[in-house]
Amino acid sequence: MAGSALRRLMAEYKQLTLNPPEGIIAGPINEENFFEWEALITGPEGTCFEGGVFPAKLIFPPDYPLSPPKMQFTCEMFHPNIYSDGRVCISILHAPGDDPMGYESSAERWSPVQSVEKILLSVVSMLAEPNDESGANVDAAKMWRENRDEFNRIAERIVRRTLGIPT
Amino acid sequence: MVIVIMGDEAKNSSTATEDVSQLNQDELIMAQQRQIEKEISETIPLVGDLENILLLEHEYSNDDVYQEKVKNLAKKYKSIRRTRPDGNCFFRAFSFAYIERLLDKKEDFDAFYKKTAKSKDDLVELGFQQFTVEDFYDTYLDVLKRVGDIAEVEGAKTELHSLFNDQGYSDYMVVYLRLLTSGQLQKEKDFYSCFIEGHTTVEDFCHQEVEPMYKESDHIHIIAACAALGTGVRVVYMDRGTGKAVTEHDLPEGCVPSVHLLYRPGHYDILYPI
Repeated sequence: MAGSALRRLMAEYKQLTLNPPEGIIAGPINEENFFEWEALITGPEGTCFEGGVFPAKLIFPPDYPLSPPKMQFTCEMFHPNIYSDGRVCISILHAPGDDPMGYESSAERWSPVQSVEKILLSVVSMLAEPNDESGANVDAAKMWRENRDEFNRIAERIVRRTLGIPT
Repeated sequence: MVIVIMGDEAKNSSTATEDVSQLNQDELIMAQQRQIEKEISETIPLVGDLENILLLEHEYSNDDVYQEKVKNLAKKYKSIRRTRPDGNCFFRAFSFAYIERLLDKKEDFDAFYKKTAKSKDDLVELGFQQFTVEDFYDTYLDVLKRVGDIAEVEGAKTELHSLFNDQGYSDYMVVYLRLLTSGQLQKEKDFYSCFIEGHTTVEDFCHQEVEPMYKESDHIHIIAACAALGTGVRVVYMDRGTGKAVTEHDLPEGCVPSVHLLYRPGHYDILYPI
């Protein structure tokens, strides 16, 4: 099974290298191990995360793509759909029925024809439009709803940190 | 397995802790789910051996309604092959039983191989990304080729059974039939949309109910899977309903079924007619 997963991950890496989606770079941290990737995601334009470059790691299970990978930001993040330890919590990273957050039934779910690229694009949309209904970080969800100015200030500080600019 | 229920103490603590407890609880629930799945996997093969149909009576030794129904079933069917109840049972049972049946008739098998060989292009045309369907398609064709190359029919069936019990091959066979079924639904979406409840589009239905592993099958999956493979199936329903006989449904209606499946609420096994 791991052989099939490896073949698929190599195909996805090739695809992402040949046709990289705008603002996203992703690939194995070390070509000896295709089951751990690093991704760099640029904050979407016109949002409070604009200009930031956010590093994350993706860990793939041995039965990928039957099961989805896990994704975790490795920089400081403050966002309704990201746990305080950096783990990303969006519907595409879960198979249907696997429902820690009670996602809407129409939300996009994991299946073997999804891909790393689709996940990363969903994460970019998530940065632009947080889903405060399914809060992984309750404080961030509350602030996003009730005190947007403060939320934006925190986001701006995080953006500066990812760029190594003193805050 | 212990399930942690968050008490008031946890609720009153700082929100940072709440995040962590929430995370731990999700993890625990998922870990428990995986443990249950593992226990099921370890006890029931993906596709079992042929068993005498009358062995089913043992399952219902204290149940007159079912005992009577099993006796009735035995008038038409000699054996049963059980499949693992993991949500993929229809796709696994149907795929296995249909290929097994095709092995009896070389021309039909060859025609099916040719039809399947062309199927990837159809899926790509429907909008599936090539690299996401390729491995499943390759595995499906590889299995067909491996069993097709064995001249002696019983030997080919034994090889098929062993490939379907190899999790790697077996699950990829399941995925590819799921994709063919999804492709069929999307190709004829005007027709199938009438059978989907609520406001869900055929595409969304496919993404949520057909393409993901472990999602159980309904009538609509069966009809589309039959259309995709170009065959028909007889589903024999056995439940606690009144009447001594089991109920039969041919899908699509009026077909000559190539595969017979026993349906007991929530699960499909393969039946072999006398």
